[in-house]
Amino acid sequence: MIQFDQVTKRYPGGNEALKNLSFTIDGGEMVFLAGHSGAGKSTLLKLISGIERASSGNVVVSGQNLSRLRNSQIPYVRQHIGMVFQDHKLLFDRSAFDNVMLPLDIIGFDRRDAARRVRAALDKVGLLSKEKCMPIRLSGGEQQRLCIARAVVHRPSLLLADEPSANLDRAYALDIMELFKSFHQVGVTVVISAHDETLMEDYGRRIIRLKEGQFAA
Amino acid sequence: MKHFLYLNWHSARSALLKILRQPFGSLLTLLMLSIALAMPLSLYLTVSSIQDWAGHLTATPQITLFMEQSAEEADLAAVSSTLAKHPRVESFSFIGKRQALSDLEKRNGLPGLADGLGDNPLPDAFVVKPRSLEPHELDMLQKELSGLPMVENAQFDARWAQRLYAMVEIGKQLTWFLAGVLGLALVLVTYNAVRMQILARRDEIEVSKLIGAPDSFIRRPFMYHALWQGLLAGLAAWGLTSWLVLLANPAISSFAQLYNERLSLRMLNPQELAIVLAFSALLAMLGARLAAGHHLRRIQPR
Repeated sequence: MIQFDQVTKRYPGGNEALKNLSFTIDGGEMVFLAGHSGAGKSTLLKLISGIERASSGNVVVSGQNLSRLRNSQIPYVRQHIGMVFQDHKLLFDRSAFDNVMLPLDIIGFDRRDAARRVRAALDKVGLLSKEKCMPIRLSGGEQQRLCIARAVVHRPSLLLADEPSANLDRAYALDIMELFKSFHQVGVTVVISAHDETLMEDYGRRIIRLKEGQFAA
Repeated sequence: MKHFLYLNWHSARSALLKILRQPFGSLLTLLMLSIALAMPLSLYLTVSSIQDWAGHLTATPQITLFMEQSAEEADLAAVSSTLAKHPRVESFSFIGKRQALSDLEKRNGLPGLADGLGDNPLPDAFVVKPRSLEPHELDMLQKELSGLPMVENAQFDARWAQRLYAMVEIGKQLTWFLAGVLGLALVLVTYNAVRMQILARRDEIEVSKLIGAPDSFIRRPFMYHALWQGLLAGLAAWGLTSWLVLLANPAISSFAQLYNERLSLRMLNPQELAIVLAFSALLAMLGARLAAGHHLRRIQPR
């Protein structure tokens, strides 16, 4: 599903965020990315989603070598990926329902089917009763769940989550981990980054530990 | 394909609703655009009305050469052959003094006039149709012809009509110039309007890009916004010029009446209206496309 082959990412200014990294994540796997902030977790996720490009090496996602794609082709790669952001990146000028509708609008879904899908996704994260709410009226945990609903509404085969539970208390964080686990159980490849390893260890999944852009010992 | 049509329809509808929902802001831009369009349009209507009216007057200017009374057959033949070879002369006809007199009799209903006069007082004449209608060329031709041997004078008919043509010509050029400059203004105004919109919707654009929206998806609402704005501005400009024409016509007709003429400004015909609408929509979309091209690239998700 995801293949990193001697990938180095150097930011302008010379800062090397990832150094010569090679690994593979199989389809249907659930993998944790661990490491302190600045270890390269976010950069790694951005390379998978094509937000950043590798300075050298190859990043292959679902059989497509992202290093060789033109900028105009990247959006279509992203349409098969669900992304959950630490800061949610919700749109505050529209309802919860319309926030979740956005990915379906982009890939061009029939409107009636789309509404059904949006409600199913909202139901899955427990926000169906708040579909008409504006995101500003939702709590931090609810906003994060709304972000997850938006990430999965178009049924991506790959789900990336960058510190999804960073700002949440433990009970909420566990809730959200359970959500990711349920997506993994229906066959979605899930990659979750976090700096708090205690949460991951309960799940007994593979953990990729990063330190200063390399695998930590 | 069905989805593509749906997306376009949806964007078109929501762009129109957006314009209607902010009546004040949209109105200001619309007013600015429609005034910019109305200026060349009213000038165009004025010029084309005058041109239509002038078309009913003596269409082409002629130069009439009157010969001296003492001119003989040989002189006539000499002038005739000069005219035939002259490069500035398109064609000419000869009206002999006898024919001129009988024409006069017929026209004025005075049979027997020739008998009463005894000697025919009318001169032989050539009516010359010049090749070029350009005022300078006509002047040269007139001077040259009046200098021919045994020519008493060369009279220029409808000289004032010629001047009118020249002014209409200037008016036409002015119309094109104004249309060009204000068309450019239309492009720039929509460019700016769309640029502001893009900046105002930065978050939305960034998030859309993050979750896989191609540029065409992000551009679409702005393009439709520009399309509606162009169409509405075109319609408003049409209304504005029609109003102007209705306002000006009484004064113009009463002025023309003083000279026993009928002159009034006309309205845009349906084809012209369609062309105006198409152009204002296209120019607005061009502005939007340029703005989107420049400013969407700068918004990259991080």
